[in-house]
Amino acid sequence: MATPVLICDDSNMARKQCARSLPDGWPVDVSFATNGEEGVEAIKEGKAELLLLDLNMPVMDGYEVLEAIRAQDLETMVVVISGDIQPEARSRVKQLGAIDFIKKPVDKEKLTGMLLEYGIIDAELMKAVEETVAPEPKPEKKAAEKKAAPKELPASANDSVPSELDPLLRDCLQELSNVAMGQAGDMLARLLKVFVELPIPNVNLIEVSELCMAFASVEDFHETSGVCQGFIGSGISGEALLILNDSSFGDMAALLNYKGQLDDSAELEVLMDISNILVGAYLKGLAEQLDLHFSRGAPVVLGQHCDVTQLLETKNQAWNRTLAIELSYAIEDYPIKCDLLLFFTEDSIPHLTHHASYLLDD
Amino acid sequence: MLEQDDQLKEFYWYIDILQNVDVGLAVLDKEYNIQLWNGFMENHSGHHPNSTKDQNIFELFSEIDEARFRSKAESVFLLQSSAFSSWEQRPYLFKFKTYRPITCTAPHMYQNTTIIPLVSTTGEVNHICIIVYDVTEEAMYKLRQEKPQAMSA
Repeated sequence: MATPVLICDDSNMARKQCARSLPDGWPVDVSFATNGEEGVEAIKEGKAELLLLDLNMPVMDGYEVLEAIRAQDLETMVVVISGDIQPEARSRVKQLGAIDFIKKPVDKEKLTGMLLEYGIIDAELMKAVEETVAPEPKPEKKAAEKKAAPKELPASANDSVPSELDPLLRDCLQELSNVAMGQAGDMLARLLKVFVELPIPNVNLIEVSELCMAFASVEDFHETSGVCQGFIGSGISGEALLILNDSSFGDMAALLNYKGQLDDSAELEVLMDISNILVGAYLKGLAEQLDLHFSRGAPVVLGQHCDVTQLLETKNQAWNRTLAIELSYAIEDYPIKCDLLLFFTEDSIPHLTHHASYLLDD
Repeated sequence: MLEQDDQLKEFYWYIDILQNVDVGLAVLDKEYNIQLWNGFMENHSGHHPNSTKDQNIFELFSEIDEARFRSKAESVFLLQSSAFSSWEQRPYLFKFKTYRPITCTAPHMYQNTTIIPLVSTTGEVNHICIIVYDVTEEAMYKLRQEKPQAMSA
């Protein structure tokens, strides 16, 4: 009999990746849910002997799903699959009843190993399957194909940029950001010894002239300090901006164990340290997933103690639109607000699409 | 043996550093064909090292003023001594676009360039290296100081 498996994740790409990572030849009946609420409904309908659960979702997140399962005594086994790789996240979901935790992007062998370990799939069965199912194409081969892809990049690809962001690309970037942001959050959590609350990445194609209005959180940012850093590679370029609310400096400096008076130069030190970690880890995570490499320029201080609109003020006429990714980090139990904004140039979009297409291929 | 291992390790470090340093490095032979192209040059030009190897630099980058560049480079080959060019005298050698879409107002990357001779084991200079520094921030600052009205226009 087929095992009912439910995959609960808000990202279409992540759901597909997850479904592809299920062991070959395992008789399953896979259903999908796009948020926690749908997930709980599906569990009640008996669609989830095994639940593969994301944490970071709109409407109802993974933690809330775990709480609902416990409160309503629902029958299901939960494996959490998340980009939030903070050790604290891992222990929290286990406390809430998840049997285990796998980091994104899902590793097929790891998932199979875990299912074997918990007796959810049968070792005998898998052995039989291995003998009948042809082995998958080797990953090395895939990498070689990638290398063979044309590297010559058009100098300007502006013409081919559509006015709307392709929903597939948006979903893909959101998921890639989710994983990259999780890695960055983990580093920050380790450094400050706190729990970092990860947001859902906000991906948009926006008019440069409307930049400030495009950010929901901007209204809380009147006294801010910001630093930016450019990056470029494989036809993709842009900049990362880290904006810290001035009221956060005291707590941040205390968490970083800064001694002495917190003057402008000490605050700048804090800002640079945080930006190095978040920007560095995010870009590394993004580049690794897309299998490319970025050069990073020296960071530039945009300003201290000014309104966020001043930081984002642009006189650049070269670009009409920018692909923006907004990540608002918060730290549990501290009133720290910190925004990481990524702006890609318009002509990066075709190249991003090209690199992302390797991930979207079925 | 151990010493050799150390040397090899150092060699790989150098390679890694040259590949990742935020400075452009390009080695040319006497015919001005590209022999080496580091990560900075690859990422900012969009040309992969495989596609630039043995390509003539003037054919690949039409923005380079061939006569002026040749006269400058010939002196490096001949005198075995470095030559310098400042962004103030010539804003760029390679026309690389600005990569920060929001916070940078420059129309392109401003560059200081240095050409250094590479002396072979037999004491001849058959290759030169172009070193490209991104000085956009500095140039923009100075230009803003000098003609604020032109910058805001």
